[in-house]
Amino acid sequence: MNYSLLSLEILLTLLGVGVLLGDLWIPASARKLIGYGAATGAGILLTYAIGSGAPADGTAFGGLFVVDALSNYFKGFFLLAALVVLLLTVSQSDTIKGYAEYCALILFATVGMLFAASANDFVLMFVALELITVTFFVLVSYDRNRSGSLEAGVKYLIMGALASAFMVFGIALIFGSAGTTNFYEIAAHQSTLAKSPVFLIGLLLTLVGLGFKIAAVPFQMWAPDVYQGAPAITTAFLATGSKAAGFALLLRVAFSAVPEITAHWSRLFLVMGVLTLLYGSFCAIAQRSVKRLMGYSSIANAGYLLLGIAAVSLNGSTAVLTYLGGYIFTVLAGFAVISAIAAHTGSDDVSAFAGLGQRSPILATGLTVSLVSLAGIPPMAGFFGKFLLLKAVAAHAGTERFFLVALLAACVGVVISLYYYFGVIRSIFWPRSVADLTVIPVDGATRLALILSIAGVFYIGIFPNSLVVGARQAAAGLAPQTAVAAKAPAAPAHH
Amino acid sequence: MPELTDILFYAFAGLTLLCGFLCVANPFSRNPVTSAMFLVLTIISMAGLYVLLHAFFLAAIQVLVYAGAVMVLFLFVIMLLDIREEERRKLNGAAVGVGAIAVGTLAGILTRALWHAEPLAKVATSEGATRPLGKILFTQYLLPFEVLSILLLVAMVGVILLSRKELK
Repeated sequence: MNYSLLSLEILLTLLGVGVLLGDLWIPASARKLIGYGAATGAGILLTYAIGSGAPADGTAFGGLFVVDALSNYFKGFFLLAALVVLLLTVSQSDTIKGYAEYCALILFATVGMLFAASANDFVLMFVALELITVTFFVLVSYDRNRSGSLEAGVKYLIMGALASAFMVFGIALIFGSAGTTNFYEIAAHQSTLAKSPVFLIGLLLTLVGLGFKIAAVPFQMWAPDVYQGAPAITTAFLATGSKAAGFALLLRVAFSAVPEITAHWSRLFLVMGVLTLLYGSFCAIAQRSVKRLMGYSSIANAGYLLLGIAAVSLNGSTAVLTYLGGYIFTVLAGFAVISAIAAHTGSDDVSAFAGLGQRSPILATGLTVSLVSLAGIPPMAGFFGKFLLLKAVAAHAGTERFFLVALLAACVGVVISLYYYFGVIRSIFWPRSVADLTVIPVDGATRLALILSIAGVFYIGIFPNSLVVGARQAAAGLAPQTAVAAKAPAAPAHH
Repeated sequence: MPELTDILFYAFAGLTLLCGFLCVANPFSRNPVTSAMFLVLTIISMAGLYVLLHAFFLAAIQVLVYAGAVMVLFLFVIMLLDIREEERRKLNGAAVGVGAIAVGTLAGILTRALWHAEPLAKVATSEGATRPLGKILFTQYLLPFEVLSILLLVAMVGVILLSRKELK
């Protein structure tokens, strides 16, 4: 067997164990070194993953583990998210209790995400998701002296356990009716399996588990509370890595394992997407806590992404992948600022951001870029993802009324989002009243993380082709999709 | 002359039903700890039934996980709660009604299913055996099995972090 296919996962696990052990020898005064070391390791693996060192396509462990364009695409983003999040922890190395373990847990969660990106089997998918979820139970309740963090941890634990129960029950039904858990083998028999109600119920229950991870209606109830209660750095990772892992698996199950059934269930995804994006958008309007606002925004974004899956086309999947890529940079930039503010003022209320334009220009720039990109305004990354996504949905709008309704709902969502995102921006630059205008210090690591994310947002926004080409390759790699691609409209022109 | 396995089956089945009954409606004691102990006996008698079905692995897991780990958890919860208050609580009419309906429905479904079921000629003996399970775990599903070790490490680190009094 070709073990080099798993090189990223193995190296990252070793890095995590190394960080845990390193804490024994590194004195408390030099604790920052642990964070820098973990971030450097993640950075080296990132360049290795997107550079020439990326393992060639192939499968290992009897088709359980697959390396292809899709897995490589996601792995790059997971490592990037881990790198930025680790950089953010450095400035709080003295306040986070058990700092080395915090870094190690972030690395282990990333290992889970890497396995999720490569999972080609329901069993490995479940184990990878559990690794991510269990790690986040701890990361969410990390700030255990604050009751909000513990409350969020307990909520996430209960909802997560419930979702896992649904999923494992679904996998049992799938195995019971299909006799295999491998995605390719299921795809080979999907036309017979599509007639088996037990298999379809199993698949639905599995979707419940994935719906929880991506926070889609009706499995979204945990997101606002957990996003608000968790430490800001954890929330950043939850909103990027954990969500993207859910979508990586959803794409693989939907288009690699059961593409025919997905085509039948297009409307299910569409209805879920519309409800999710409207729920997220409407609930976000009244929020005062920026972390909670990001929670609802994250729900709304899951809704847009589900529309791309509902389109069941190469363009739809490409749009989902492009959108996710831009979204990760955007959210990381936003949370870099939120975590700096939360560490400095101890609050994430909109009032804590008042006058940020004068208090710290770089933080103000970071949050503004992030919010403008989330609102989908060119030339930010968020614009191009939304554009491709709505284009993929619009391709069906002429023939199917459902898609037209979804398109209108998405437009309503975009308009509402302008309102609540710009509410925060107004508070940053044109506050009603400012009590405190002291300068907020920003350390080097946070600055680096912020610059990295902002640069990503602009780069993807201005040169989207670089990302779209990779996304299209990854989407085409979801095998049976290529048949649909021939019928799909021509690739969008890039500027 | 009945065979030994038949005698054992009726013994274990009877024990399961008796202990199950004593677990929920013990006329001598309303103490939750007594109920929990009867639940342990129920689980162990069920493990005996599994052995008679040649499902040795399932029987061992039944004893290890349910009679061991899960019951310890139950006892912890019982001891953390105020038992006196539980003892004073009288029977709830609505709960008895709902319970009776649930038991009745389940019994109906089971009798119907058993009535229509074809009698099995021979019980499949390889299912639930330890050897094929171990084989599949260390060949086909080796990778998820190994990833679980990282999961256990994370759980261990997490528990220590969240429960320790002082953290540096």
